[in-house]
Amino acid sequence: MMSQNAAELCALLIEDNFGELFARIFSTLQRYERLSLPRLKFHSHLTDRQLHHGLCAMIQHHLVYHFTSVEDGITYYEANPQAAYYLVRSGKILQLIENRLGPYAAQVMEAILYLGHSSVSHLDILPELQSQRQQVPNGFAHDEESRTNGDGPDHLDGPNGDHVDEKPARLHPTIKALASHGYIIRVREAHFQSPDDNWLDAHRIVAARPHIKTMKGKAQQAALLEKTLELVQERTNGDLTERFMIGGLPRGVKRKFGHGASDTVNHNGVNEDHMVDEENEWSDDEDGFDTVPLEPGLVVRVNYEKLDVALRNARFIELAEQDSSSVTAEIYDCLLRRIEAKTKHCRDTPEIPREGEEGEIYSVPIHLEVLTEDVDPQLDLAGSIGPLEPFQPVNRRGKRPLENGVNGDDDAADTDESAGTSRAYKINQHLSLLAQPPYRFTSSSVVHGEITWRVAFRHLARKLRHQELEQMIEARFGDVALRIVRVLQAKGKLDEKRLQEISMLPFKDLRQTLASMQAGGFVDLQEVPRDAQRQPSKTIYLWYYDPDRICSSILEDTYKAMSRCLQRINFERERERDFLEKTERSDVKGNEERYLSEGELEKLQRWKAREALLLGVVARLDDMVAVFRDY
Amino acid sequence: MASAGSDVAQLASKLYEACLNQFDSEHLFYQNDLRGLNVIPDGDIPLLLNCTQSLVDQKFFRLLQDKSDRLAWKVVPREDAEKLRSLSADESLVYSVIQSTGRTGIWVRSIQMRTNLHKSILDRSLKSLEGKNYIKTIHNVKYPSRKMYMLAGLAPSEEITGGAWFTDGVLDANFINSVGGFIEYTVSRKSWYEVPTAERGRAKRLKTATGKADVKSEQPEKAYLPFPADYKGYPTVESITAAVNESGITPVRMWEQSVVQLLEMLSYDKKLVALNDGRNYRALKNPEAVKASQARKPAAEGDEAEAAKHLVKNGMTEAPCGQCPVFRLCSPGGAVSPETCEYFDPWLSNGLGF
Repeated sequence: MMSQNAAELCALLIEDNFGELFARIFSTLQRYERLSLPRLKFHSHLTDRQLHHGLCAMIQHHLVYHFTSVEDGITYYEANPQAAYYLVRSGKILQLIENRLGPYAAQVMEAILYLGHSSVSHLDILPELQSQRQQVPNGFAHDEESRTNGDGPDHLDGPNGDHVDEKPARLHPTIKALASHGYIIRVREAHFQSPDDNWLDAHRIVAARPHIKTMKGKAQQAALLEKTLELVQERTNGDLTERFMIGGLPRGVKRKFGHGASDTVNHNGVNEDHMVDEENEWSDDEDGFDTVPLEPGLVVRVNYEKLDVALRNARFIELAEQDSSSVTAEIYDCLLRRIEAKTKHCRDTPEIPREGEEGEIYSVPIHLEVLTEDVDPQLDLAGSIGPLEPFQPVNRRGKRPLENGVNGDDDAADTDESAGTSRAYKINQHLSLLAQPPYRFTSSSVVHGEITWRVAFRHLARKLRHQELEQMIEARFGDVALRIVRVLQAKGKLDEKRLQEISMLPFKDLRQTLASMQAGGFVDLQEVPRDAQRQPSKTIYLWYYDPDRICSSILEDTYKAMSRCLQRINFERERERDFLEKTERSDVKGNEERYLSEGELEKLQRWKAREALLLGVVARLDDMVAVFRDY
Repeated sequence: MASAGSDVAQLASKLYEACLNQFDSEHLFYQNDLRGLNVIPDGDIPLLLNCTQSLVDQKFFRLLQDKSDRLAWKVVPREDAEKLRSLSADESLVYSVIQSTGRTGIWVRSIQMRTNLHKSILDRSLKSLEGKNYIKTIHNVKYPSRKMYMLAGLAPSEEITGGAWFTDGVLDANFINSVGGFIEYTVSRKSWYEVPTAERGRAKRLKTATGKADVKSEQPEKAYLPFPADYKGYPTVESITAAVNESGITPVRMWEQSVVQLLEMLSYDKKLVALNDGRNYRALKNPEAVKASQARKPAAEGDEAEAAKHLVKNGMTEAPCGQCPVFRLCSPGGAVSPETCEYFDPWLSNGLGF
């Protein structure tokens, strides 16, 4: 069951993206949960025609689940709030794809996002995917608008080159690349049914199996559970990664030194913006041995779970960058990319477990050697870590301060072999640096005598959550509050005196801050009576801080704030309605400069800036939702 | 009888001398200890008791009783005995109660309970004792409203004063901040590797080696690098304590315990990080950043806009809803609604101003 705020937000997002009809159907389904068509018609007050049309399109977009019961033959419809919510993240997803795989891949992804799901043959005939040079839309939540916008300039660019015949060669490798990353998956029939239906259905089928029937008691329960899970996974699994991976690596990402160290022109390593020509290089690379077109019947959709993994990794890197050098962050990026290929979803349980009850989930371990190959050889590994002995490099002119001494080869570091080991050693040094408190981004383990590195995901996700909470607390109550909260978090429940001793704050400040935080719902007080009479004088009062509870209430607030921002956009649009309708006229659109006066152009500019600002805040709020709910 | 009396007095003073010479002042004497001194002829117990009684009367001995009701005595130094002899009976009763609590002091009401004196008598006695400078009032951090007394010659225990961070029973925030700032900077200097001149020259940045010249040069910004993970030179609690005591910023000598308390507090502020179970500490910010943030603090307090800029931000703190006092009441079509919201317009124009 969704909260009121989340339901409101989902309805708003659908209205914003697909219009009123969808929003009406969706909010009716949210309000009444599962409905058959006649009941849906009754509650939504829509005509048959509208309903059929709307449901059909919403199923295409995965906004509505449907399920036909075997017993009574009635088809039930149910809202899919997850898919509705992810509409808000589409902009971020496209940005990520563009950074990773280039603008064309982002365009393909956008087409798939726009269509909900699509067969390869349909993508083949899409006009916007045929020409190579296209303006990349800014695609936040208003993809379709930007899409229509984008058509204008395309035609102007048309004469530039006849890329039409290149189309299959570009489209199919791109789809393969997206699939090998796991960003898109094959659509399975079970994807159209809600997870609960899938589970019950599988449960029924498994229970009817003869060998399960013969079992009894607990053994039967356990077997039933296991087999059901298996069946559900088998039915919903649309994973394409293994099929398209090359040598255990997703394709499309150019290895940063694929052409050896000689090619130094466009790899500056640190800045990570080698996207410009990368795109061409990889498609050239792979066309050589993989020109097999995809089967046209393959139907693909976006895999939000995997994209969340990628977005979460991006957050980790961002966090790491705050405290470490760019070189270290770059190496961390390499590690996380390797790990991303092997991580299917952010966590195993549908809900974030309670604080303290959460077991650690480690990523797959990655061998140090593998990383050594991945890291850009142009990267200045030694330059960003100090020496072990502070005064050594002054004498040695600081060329190679540390690792040679340890490895025992003084100036032979130029030979290939020792350069290799010392490179590995240096990368290991960077990773060890990341493993340090307070964040402990990485952890190392030794498997069969080889050093491997992995990431403790739950611990880091928790750090992200705490960081968001702490930022809010600091903004609202100041740094005194921040210290109190951290003390409470580290020590558990404390009475005022002990809290005062540890936080070293004057009583007056402490009490004031605690009181205002309690009013804001961030800390709370527990009474522990010492006798049966519960006299206040004989009662111990303990302050505590419960991050779980605060996270969930902040999450609700965040949904609400997002709704408010979207509603404000609607309101602002309504205010400027006449003017905006003029700008959206088919003859004006795209030719604004010809038809609009200077004042109007400025007004349009201002309106766009306002809208962008509000949408920007929604996107920032979505970052928080991701941390509190998805990571 | 008179000779017997003088005999007892002589023996008593001998006994007293022997006790003073052969044992330390805190020693607890039982009957056998006194007999073992060989002052009393033949270990004559009635005589011994007579002697001790006279010593107790003269306040040279204090009579004590242990848990199994055995009698025991403690020696009182001569000058204290003089003092005590000058007191009235009530006063000496109060004095002995206060004395018994030692460095922790005692609450007035507890004195009353123990002595069973009338309040006015007790007050008079306390006043006269205080007037003679035998006792003093102290301020208890835990119970600031209680009036407490202890002997004038003693220093109150940490429990009473709250430790090094209290001045006159009040937590000294300025003192804590200044010592905290000093520690952060000191630790930071040892937690980051300052790139020496030669290397910086290579990096095409002109720097001078000494800190002094650096301040004068046009780019005061120094380059710092983190140490490798297995670096062992992060400052220990002992070295930090020593540095604090050497620096002279504290009027009294700091004990490690107090410094550890402060270090933990700094860790909660995310300024330092404890390594190796709190044996070593590492600073998160490099010395330049520490200096900058410390220099900024007082300025930021006066200038709110300046302070707001430095706050870490996320979506919720940025959005107008994040600070809205009536956010809970807000709903479309309500008295507070996104349409009538008065925060959005200023926020939007503020946002576009940049």
